[in-house]
Amino acid sequence: MEADLRLAGKTIINQLGVVLRTGYFHDIDNVAVMDAIEKFLNLVNPLTETEGSLKIDIIGEFFYINDSRVRYPLEYMLNFDYLLREFQRRELGTVIFESRLGTDDIKTFLKVFISSAFSSTPYEAMKASLEECTNIRIDKLKKIKEDGDIDQRKIVKKTYFNAVSFTEGVMGKLKAGEKVNMKVAKRVVESMVDLILSEEQLLVGMTAIKDYDEYTYHHSVNVSVLSIAIGQKIGLSRKALTELGLVALFHDIGKMEIPKEILNKPTAFNEEEWRIIRRHPYLGARTLLKLKGFDKTSIRSAVVAFEHHLHYDYSGYPKIRNPMGLDFYSRIITIADQYDAMTSSRVYARVPLAPDRALSIIMERSGSQLDPVLCKFFVNMIGIYPVGSLVLLDTDEMGLVYECNPLFADRPRVMIIVDSTGRKTGGSIADLTERAPSGKYLRSIAKTLDPNKYRLNLAEYLL
Amino acid sequence: MTLVQDVKEIIQGIVKAKKNLRIYPENNPIYAKTIDDIHSRMTSILDYSDSLSLKIRQHDIFLDGETVYHANGKEENLALFFFKDGIRELTFDKGLPRNEMEDFLRILAVDFDREALDDDIVTLMWEKDFRFIHYIVDDSILLEDETYEERATEEAKKAAANNEGILSAYRDAFKVEKTPEVNIVPITDEDLEHMIREIENDPADKSIKLIHLLFEMLYYVEGLEECRELTGFISSALDYAIRLGNLEAAVYTLQKIGNESEVATYEEDVRACLEDLKGFIGSDGFVNRISEVLDRGAEFDEELLRKFASLLDKNAIPTFIQILGELKRAQARKAVISILSELGKKDIPSIAKGLQDRRWYVVRNIICILRQIGDASALEHLVRVVRHPDKRVKKEAIRTLGVMGTGDVLQVLNDCMSDEDERVRLTAVRAIGLIGTPVSKKILMERVTDRSFRDKSFNEKKEFFEVLAKWKDDDVVSLMIKTLKRRTFFKRAKNLETRAAAAHGLGTSGSAEALEPLAKLGNTKNRLLRENVQAAIKRIKGEKNGS
Repeated sequence: MEADLRLAGKTIINQLGVVLRTGYFHDIDNVAVMDAIEKFLNLVNPLTETEGSLKIDIIGEFFYINDSRVRYPLEYMLNFDYLLREFQRRELGTVIFESRLGTDDIKTFLKVFISSAFSSTPYEAMKASLEECTNIRIDKLKKIKEDGDIDQRKIVKKTYFNAVSFTEGVMGKLKAGEKVNMKVAKRVVESMVDLILSEEQLLVGMTAIKDYDEYTYHHSVNVSVLSIAIGQKIGLSRKALTELGLVALFHDIGKMEIPKEILNKPTAFNEEEWRIIRRHPYLGARTLLKLKGFDKTSIRSAVVAFEHHLHYDYSGYPKIRNPMGLDFYSRIITIADQYDAMTSSRVYARVPLAPDRALSIIMERSGSQLDPVLCKFFVNMIGIYPVGSLVLLDTDEMGLVYECNPLFADRPRVMIIVDSTGRKTGGSIADLTERAPSGKYLRSIAKTLDPNKYRLNLAEYLL
Repeated sequence: MTLVQDVKEIIQGIVKAKKNLRIYPENNPIYAKTIDDIHSRMTSILDYSDSLSLKIRQHDIFLDGETVYHANGKEENLALFFFKDGIRELTFDKGLPRNEMEDFLRILAVDFDREALDDDIVTLMWEKDFRFIHYIVDDSILLEDETYEERATEEAKKAAANNEGILSAYRDAFKVEKTPEVNIVPITDEDLEHMIREIENDPADKSIKLIHLLFEMLYYVEGLEECRELTGFISSALDYAIRLGNLEAAVYTLQKIGNESEVATYEEDVRACLEDLKGFIGSDGFVNRISEVLDRGAEFDEELLRKFASLLDKNAIPTFIQILGELKRAQARKAVISILSELGKKDIPSIAKGLQDRRWYVVRNIICILRQIGDASALEHLVRVVRHPDKRVKKEAIRTLGVMGTGDVLQVLNDCMSDEDERVRLTAVRAIGLIGTPVSKKILMERVTDRSFRDKSFNEKKEFFEVLAKWKDDDVVSLMIKTLKRRTFFKRAKNLETRAAAAHGLGTSGSAEALEPLAKLGNTKNRLLRENVQAAIKRIKGEKNGS
């Protein structure tokens, strides 16, 4: 529904602009004005019927309809700009169309809107004139939120899903033999790098949610996020982090060439199917080299795509005859890839591992399959209790690790999902560093459990 | 002037800067003035406020709601230039330094239409990480599917666990054993140093790594088409590497192709494709690419150049000869000469074909290359060049015949001593001396005793005696003493020159036997003779004492 609203929102905002502009130049009963009003009503009334009311807000530079942001489309730019300017001029922040509107309601609004331009206090003039109109309410423009007030979690979520959506688009385009816009790819990764630098735990936390339909796209983004996070810990520059994130995003692109029947096969693979699956690093490198002209990023992407299953000790695949030493980024991405794959429910590995179990396997593989020093950095970044870990606290409450604490690895922030009496709760957040006046910690982790065993859906809590 | 007017002028300045910074190099005064003007205007505004924020729309730039820039079209529209990449607001803070302003303007001056860049303005600004210039970006322009977040979230939540799952987990939690304490492995100083080294040693150019992997990938090809594709990738990687001045990639590839035991392990199709690849590395296109890079000022290690050349196929020789005449930089020509000196060892006739080049300087370089190679089979080609119309080429050829030649070329050099140009004749004299056989001596002595010798210039005569002096034997010393003593009635001045030249020759020979006849002429009236005699005495005595 929200999506429908956003799509319709563009047209409604545009049409409101048309109504107000036409009303400025013509008499209010002019055919052109009446036509514009009628079109506007045809757009708005079906929505007020289903939604109850329709609220148009201006927040910052954007329009929102019933709290959904309306995209700024180029083709409607003139009317959008006009409307934004006129609303701001009148300090008009909100217009609510309460129920089924009639032509007279809009005509009243139009008159009031136009005449208010001549008032020294336009908003107040409009408010007073609309007192009698029960179908339309207005509210004053609110001061734009300062940066610090913006809900970082929303931004993190948006950035994460932008990346997944982009990855899906890229894969689709590649399959269709279309060109991929690397400018957009860079912008997507730059946003992730910015967030890793400012809100590392929140973005890394997004990778803990594994309940999406499209494993490959989410996996690609997760590996990118985790790789950037490792890169940040080892001190890579912002530019290098972007390159690493970009390369990681494309590491599994070879899977696009594996037939879906094999990728989605619910039963175990036979030898031939494994042979095909094991070709994906080779296929990935080829795909990436065909993607665009050779440059630093395309070369590195191809190298990593080919090497990401080779392993630090070359025990992986594809088998190679003359080892040259794994690329530095390949070693980072291999760790991120293995961790995310282990904690995900893939078609050919239905039961994912608990985050802490996956972490201990990563440590077991340190020095053999995985670079030992990078493993240390990775474990330090993920924490003892990674986001998504299911924990029982010493207060008999049960919760999910919501956010790690880089300073106190054993004291993350936990979302309480069952209270001490054994009842499911709304999900309040408890900071395990909180102490009682006596100095004793209020809560500590007593035990960890496997969230997958109980089919807990992290999306329900973390999204 | 109002603030709005000031900002309008700054924006006009920025529009102008977009052009000026493209046209003028950094050391041009206009380049510097353009930046200085905008920076000082901006600083003047920021003296009175903490920041200057501009709102960007498709056709307009606003300052506090007032239009400070407007353009309708798509071309040359500064507002649209920012707007299309999602920039909606630009803010300049107090304290903006000149270098940050310059970096900002340089980004604006990038010709995004012409340069095949993977970066837009936002990326370039992001990479600069400005401290005093901030921007607000609308990332929604990046979205292909703006409903994706909503759909994915809904789908993920659909599978929400029921109460029973959570409560069963809760019940089980009391039954499981207490989780053993896990310790985070601490990161040590050593680990940090190790990482710093890793980052520092991580090469920016991964061409060799890619080429290495492409050779590995050749074991996985399925069919000729795939094989061609992969060797095509190797060619592209090489091309890329060369553009960066990385000749090692080409050396690495040629070594791989040349490693017969490794090549033998590939399928037949692959081996055929590798042959083609080798051909590519010697092709006009690739060689021309190398020359472009050299002419841009890239410097290759001499040893690497020789190694590269030694691995190339001789078919590349004509192209290298061709570009030798086209390169503008001396350093670049030197590099190609090194390549041809190595490559030419494989095929002297191919190199010698360069002697027919219409450009005299190419011919001269080819002669140098043949001299460096030192293969006697080149002599038959070189003897023809001594008749080259350009004296510079002629001299180089004669000199080279002297260095490389044997008795076989003496007749040619003898002829050259009759050349109309004195410098050519002198070179021939020296060349004959270098060959140094008894026949050489005989030829030179015949020339000296010939009647026509006295008519030569003093310099030429001196050269003859100096070259002859290296034999230091009785024949030569006797001849020179005889010449020193010779008196004539006719052409006395010319004879005095000849005697002076003989004195010089005796000095060079260091012959003690010559001291007596020289001493007799120590106070002779003729200044030229006297000076040469005295110098010769000094030299002989000096050598005597020294020995």
